[in-house]
Amino acid sequence: MSTTAIATAAKAAPAAQVLPRPRWVEGSPSLHQITEDVARPMEGRPGRAWWICFAVAFAALLNLGGMVAYTIANGIGVWGLNNSVGWAFDITNFVFWVGIGHAGTLISAILLLFRQQWRTSINRSAEAMTIFAVLCAAMFPAIHMGRPWNAFFIFPYPNQRGPLWVNFRSPLVWDVFAINTYLIISLVFWYLGMIPDLATLRDRAGTAARKLVFRILSLGWNGSHRTWSRYETVGLVLAALATPLVLSVHSIVSMDFATSIMPGWHTTIFPPYFVAGAIYSGFGMVMMLLILTRQTMHLERYITLRHLDKMAKVTLLTGSIVGYAYAAEFFSAWYGGNLYERYHFINRATGPYAWCFYLMVLCNVLVPQVLWFKKARGSVAALFVISILVNIGMWFERFVIIVVSLHRSYLPSSWGMFYPMLVDVGVLVGAFGLFFTCFLVFIRVLPMIAMWEIKGVVGNSAHAAARPANCDLAPHPDPPSTAPAEPSQSRLPAPGRDTRGQGTVRGEGAESEREKEAAHA
Amino acid sequence: MADDSHVTAPKPPIPSPQPSPARRERGLCNPILLSPTGGEGRVRGPVKSAQSGLVRIGERPAPAYWRSVDELRDGPAAAGEFPGGLGKASGSKAAEELTRRDFLSLMGFSMAAVSLAGCRAPVQKAIPLLVGSDQIVPGIARHYATTCAGCPSACSLLVKQRDGRPIKIEGNPQSSLFGGGTCATGQATVLSLYDEGRARGPSWQGKPTSWQELDRRVLDSLRAAEAARGRIVLLSGTLTSPSTRSIVQAWMRRSPNFRHVVYDPVSLSALRKANEQSFGRASIPHYAFDRARVIVALEADFLGTWLSPVEFARQYAASRRREGQQPLHVQLESGLSLTGSNADVRLPLPPSAIGLAALGLLRRVARRAGAGEVPEGPEPFDAKRLDAVADALWENRGQSLVVSGLQDVSVQIVVNALNSLLSNVGKTLDLARPSLQRQGDDAAMAELVDDMNRGRVHTLILYGVNPGYDYSDAAGFLSGLKQVALSVSFADRLDETSSAVHALCPDHHFLEAWGDAEPVHSHFSLSQPLIAPLFDTRAAQESLLRWLGEEKPDYYTYLRDFWRKELYLRQVAMKGFDAFWDRSLEEGVFVPESTEAAGPAEETHFLGGWKAAAQDIVEGSRRAQAGPRGGPYEVHLYESVALRDGRHANNPWLQELPDPVSKVTWGNFAAVAPALAARLGLENGDVVALKSRRGQLELPVLVQPGQAARTVSVALGHGRTRAGKVGLGVGANAFSWAATALGVRRYSASGVTLEKTGRKDPLACTQTHFSMEGRPIALETTVEALREEAAAPREAEVLPSLWAARPGGEHAWGMAIDVNSCIGCSACVVACQAENNVPVVGKDQVQRARAMHWIRIDHYYRGPEDNPASLHQPMMCQHCGNAPCETVCPVLATTTSSEGLNQQVYNRCIGTRYCANNCPYKVRRFNFYDYTQNPKFDFNMTSPLGRMVLNPDVAVRSRGVMEKCSLCVQRIQLAKNDALQGKRELADGDVQTACQQACPAHAIVFGDLKDPESRVSQLRQDPRHYRVLEELGTRPSVGYLKKLRHPEET
Repeated sequence: MSTTAIATAAKAAPAAQVLPRPRWVEGSPSLHQITEDVARPMEGRPGRAWWICFAVAFAALLNLGGMVAYTIANGIGVWGLNNSVGWAFDITNFVFWVGIGHAGTLISAILLLFRQQWRTSINRSAEAMTIFAVLCAAMFPAIHMGRPWNAFFIFPYPNQRGPLWVNFRSPLVWDVFAINTYLIISLVFWYLGMIPDLATLRDRAGTAARKLVFRILSLGWNGSHRTWSRYETVGLVLAALATPLVLSVHSIVSMDFATSIMPGWHTTIFPPYFVAGAIYSGFGMVMMLLILTRQTMHLERYITLRHLDKMAKVTLLTGSIVGYAYAAEFFSAWYGGNLYERYHFINRATGPYAWCFYLMVLCNVLVPQVLWFKKARGSVAALFVISILVNIGMWFERFVIIVVSLHRSYLPSSWGMFYPMLVDVGVLVGAFGLFFTCFLVFIRVLPMIAMWEIKGVVGNSAHAAARPANCDLAPHPDPPSTAPAEPSQSRLPAPGRDTRGQGTVRGEGAESEREKEAAHA
Repeated sequence: MADDSHVTAPKPPIPSPQPSPARRERGLCNPILLSPTGGEGRVRGPVKSAQSGLVRIGERPAPAYWRSVDELRDGPAAAGEFPGGLGKASGSKAAEELTRRDFLSLMGFSMAAVSLAGCRAPVQKAIPLLVGSDQIVPGIARHYATTCAGCPSACSLLVKQRDGRPIKIEGNPQSSLFGGGTCATGQATVLSLYDEGRARGPSWQGKPTSWQELDRRVLDSLRAAEAARGRIVLLSGTLTSPSTRSIVQAWMRRSPNFRHVVYDPVSLSALRKANEQSFGRASIPHYAFDRARVIVALEADFLGTWLSPVEFARQYAASRRREGQQPLHVQLESGLSLTGSNADVRLPLPPSAIGLAALGLLRRVARRAGAGEVPEGPEPFDAKRLDAVADALWENRGQSLVVSGLQDVSVQIVVNALNSLLSNVGKTLDLARPSLQRQGDDAAMAELVDDMNRGRVHTLILYGVNPGYDYSDAAGFLSGLKQVALSVSFADRLDETSSAVHALCPDHHFLEAWGDAEPVHSHFSLSQPLIAPLFDTRAAQESLLRWLGEEKPDYYTYLRDFWRKELYLRQVAMKGFDAFWDRSLEEGVFVPESTEAAGPAEETHFLGGWKAAAQDIVEGSRRAQAGPRGGPYEVHLYESVALRDGRHANNPWLQELPDPVSKVTWGNFAAVAPALAARLGLENGDVVALKSRRGQLELPVLVQPGQAARTVSVALGHGRTRAGKVGLGVGANAFSWAATALGVRRYSASGVTLEKTGRKDPLACTQTHFSMEGRPIALETTVEALREEAAAPREAEVLPSLWAARPGGEHAWGMAIDVNSCIGCSACVVACQAENNVPVVGKDQVQRARAMHWIRIDHYYRGPEDNPASLHQPMMCQHCGNAPCETVCPVLATTTSSEGLNQQVYNRCIGTRYCANNCPYKVRRFNFYDYTQNPKFDFNMTSPLGRMVLNPDVAVRSRGVMEKCSLCVQRIQLAKNDALQGKRELADGDVQTACQQACPAHAIVFGDLKDPESRVSQLRQDPRHYRVLEELGTRPSVGYLKKLRHPEET
């Protein structure tokens, strides 16, 4: 359907010798329709599907609470760790969740700077995903400690212990800074991006309580030009701030391993390899979430197959980088000639955890190769399965790196095995519960699609629908009469303004200018 | 006016005696015991001082009014317990002038005090530290010499007592036999003192009663026995105590119906019997492994369990440390024992073939000696190897030693013939001054059980034995026990036997008791109590004396009298018995001058008779070959290094001590050869049923490299049914398979079938991978290779470091471990556990690889699976100069001190375990649970009684923190303080780590690397010295000395 749309668009302007801009919203909804569509889940009552999902996720969250309480009450001994394998599910989950978050930042910051319009439909949920994933991730370093009640020791806070300070040589301290910075920037970015939409919701709010909440949340947004101008500047600055985080956070997380001396950990390839893996797994997760929401919330119009196609391509690219990194690790182990390193990689492929390794290769290297085929990228079902496999594969990648490296280190006398206990699995499942509970609540209480952004990219047809049919394409503000239910919309900047620096509308404008010129010719 | 100072001005504190800087502080006897106690009542010693060295703790605030600048500046400093020495006591010295009012009030107080004192009832139970003594200073540990009763080897000990509690066993370096070493079992005996399973007092038929009541009943019964001419039997373990033996002799003189039967659960009676036939002496020779250049051991684990392992380990290691060619040690055995793992040549053989191998050796040696023909018979293996062994023996005549642990009189006679033909008798083994460490008589025991069942025994007194558990016919013994009119046991708990007797008269733990021992002829040692009896127990000797009708049945008096009469006269150095007694108590050991002066003993004449014995062996093998009854397998029973004969089964330290060879904890197993396991499809943990005429045993399998092909080895000492909460039902009891044949109990069985049961019982191993995978970890070399290296020295590669050099302190502590001396006996593991309050975690946690030992002995195999060479490598924190753990800890909980110690700060640790992950030696141990509070870990730390063993100098770690070897930093600190107070430099050897002190082989050397003269510095220069994983740049402070091999092995 989308292909036909593109084809028609191409046919419509053959003389321009320019491909028509892809349209990121299907069916040319009016601006009002967009607001209605996005606000529907928040203003209506949740359907049965949502309730079922929420019940499952919340049960998993309750389970997490129980498991964490049990762990803290009894000690880390309730996990399967031992003196040979000091980290297993805990840090695997931590790295996994931190990695998941990266897709959100990539989408909202890097793609913003690169002026990728397709991000507009998905950036809000991706950012939300980032925050929830970082919350899940941040939980693990805290609960994995032997004495979590002393977790604050890890912060360099002023204290009365004289020169006792944190150890700035330890990557775990860098982690603390990296994760906290990441969480704060992501939160600010997400929240600021939502303010115009919150204002819309405030204006739409039916009950006084709702109105009050959104009034507070929207920080007195009035949609004036001055507001918009400052808003865009802040957005750009934050994007510039967040962009290095995409690379730095997971690089630092990878240094937990790279700076150690364990064979299998001690390797310089880790930072780029981890970043690629993070984006890979993050896109897998975004894809899974968006497929779920577009199906259940009927947002196919906004999250189109073209979005999925784009995401699948990023997945394919990063998956291939990850596959290359796997090969490079083996190569350098062989080429480096280090006895312990070589043994480690032989053990990785032939040892007792070899099945984890092969599962990881299957999911992370082989499965995404399917995405070379357009047919696969166009199939929602295939993408859904692949996105799940990508996440399984990436979880096992971290498990392989952590557990397989630790379980057979330098002295064979202290080789051992890690077997997960019930609580390990419970915490793993529970983290998903926390994540999905947050996400499910998010899609009910906050606009999961950035209304004001998508309105900027909705394209000619939307504008056409928003004004009399014979109206020309010249930019002019929407007449208030067309959107009576959206007072804030009336204060929207005129199309043609550069909303949030992406030049979308300006582009539209320029394009229509060219079209006019072509018509004259 | 003694209290004058309390009223007016603080009196200058009386300095307490300080531990002598030159050597360990020793006391004559334990002052705690000096006050009369309820049970013992008569212990007397030096008069205690009324003034204690106790002073107030903490700073005194500056006085509001002061008379001198000194008084203002210096508060009254504390005595000895405070590290760093004492400030000068100052303050108002002279009492202020007394006013009349003061005088009157003081006089009134004094009179009241005097009259109140008169009202007090006599003190029955004194509270020691309240009264105080010049010998006890809180916080200062003292060492008292005593004798171990963990097994009949009777090693000499110095026991550390702190605040009135014995907390650590150490070897007594004064002992010429044991040389300051101990074994794992001995180290753990201190925990048995605080065992909750001990009987709290006397009981009659299971019900608590009083000693008077018990005495009355026993005396009644004895009178009835006399009247009925019933037999009175004392069944005891080996009595190494000469005074106790003299009490037994008094019983014999007193009553013609009295019999004394000596019973050892793991008996050497065949050796005694053979010596009786060969040399006319039913005794066990005193062996000198250090004088032997060639040792051939036939199924004798002399470094682990056999006869006197601490002494033999010392001798063995000493002979290996000598310059020049290494001695040759050949071990013929069925299961891989600790001794076998150290052998230069090891030949796995089934128990039934070892006699033939001995015969093969004898045949060759006799041919060379021209001593006549030896009956021909099959030879169990390659003739060339026997030739080579016989050659080595013959070339080292008079400097070789053949020993056998087989309970087979014929084999022992053949061994005697070998030693005799090799003229070793009187040189490497001494029959004139024999060992008294095993005196059991199997035939007498069998006869006793028979008599009991026939109702011929009226009164049976059990002393230090538990035949209801460890006798091969335990059921027969227990049924006989029911026929006895009165049975009395001195057992310390309700065990398998004592729960079936009439009267339980619990004996003291040896740390609560007086005693003496004579482990080897004319080598005496004394035992003294370290603590007042914890429970209402009574010395067994006192009971025996009381029932004998002694006027003064006090064993202490008896002991002193015995030493006065028997031993005082055998020396001339000390004038006056009291001086002699005090010195003997202080030193713990006494060897009469006559013994030392006697020189080498005269050669004992060999009586022959070996041809008949040889014929027996040949015929026995023929019979076995003709038609083996039952299954095709043989079972070999052995004592495990930790639990020995099972008497310490309730000791959690020993249960959790990894077996030195298999590294299995908590329970025994059926060791099968790898080839057999592959053929039968067996894996570790598969439960198999072993069946023979002696019954059935179900045990998990351990695939043991080096195990003889068709022999299954099973450890004794497990499967206790009544031992206490720790030892209950751990493993399976194999004692019933030790059948009596030809008057001796044999610890092997043939005709055994082996069946898979299909069940799994996973073993709890602390090490599961025994191959070094070609990594340079535990290194070996040969004398020749060292010589070549010395001839062409290679420039040592200095690895560059990115780190700046750290500023060093006054010392740089380091350790050197001689892997060539280390035999892997694991005494250090328990010593460390005792010293450093290392918790016991239990079988489940060991299975999860969470054992907490700070030092472990890594065991690696090299070579073919059916008979590999072994390497034992003690591994603990290497105290790296560039510690990988240190850089990764986010909160600086692990740091390196200026003296090179890698320190763990428990209070700061938050338990990220990153340090453990990054430790290449994997020596860090994490507290996964709260082992002191969690009721799931009900071993010793969870009970108030068990906690008494904790060392107050070492923090007990909380859950969630990392811990590891500290190189006994508390001992370093103590030695430094001692040196400071003695105003002298710290000398090499002042600091001994717990592992070093315990090591019977002296394989561990600790000291200051900054001192070029220290032993550890000199060992660093040894060409064998290397550091494990040095190429990582960790710069460890712990180094190793390569193992020396014979060239043909490597």
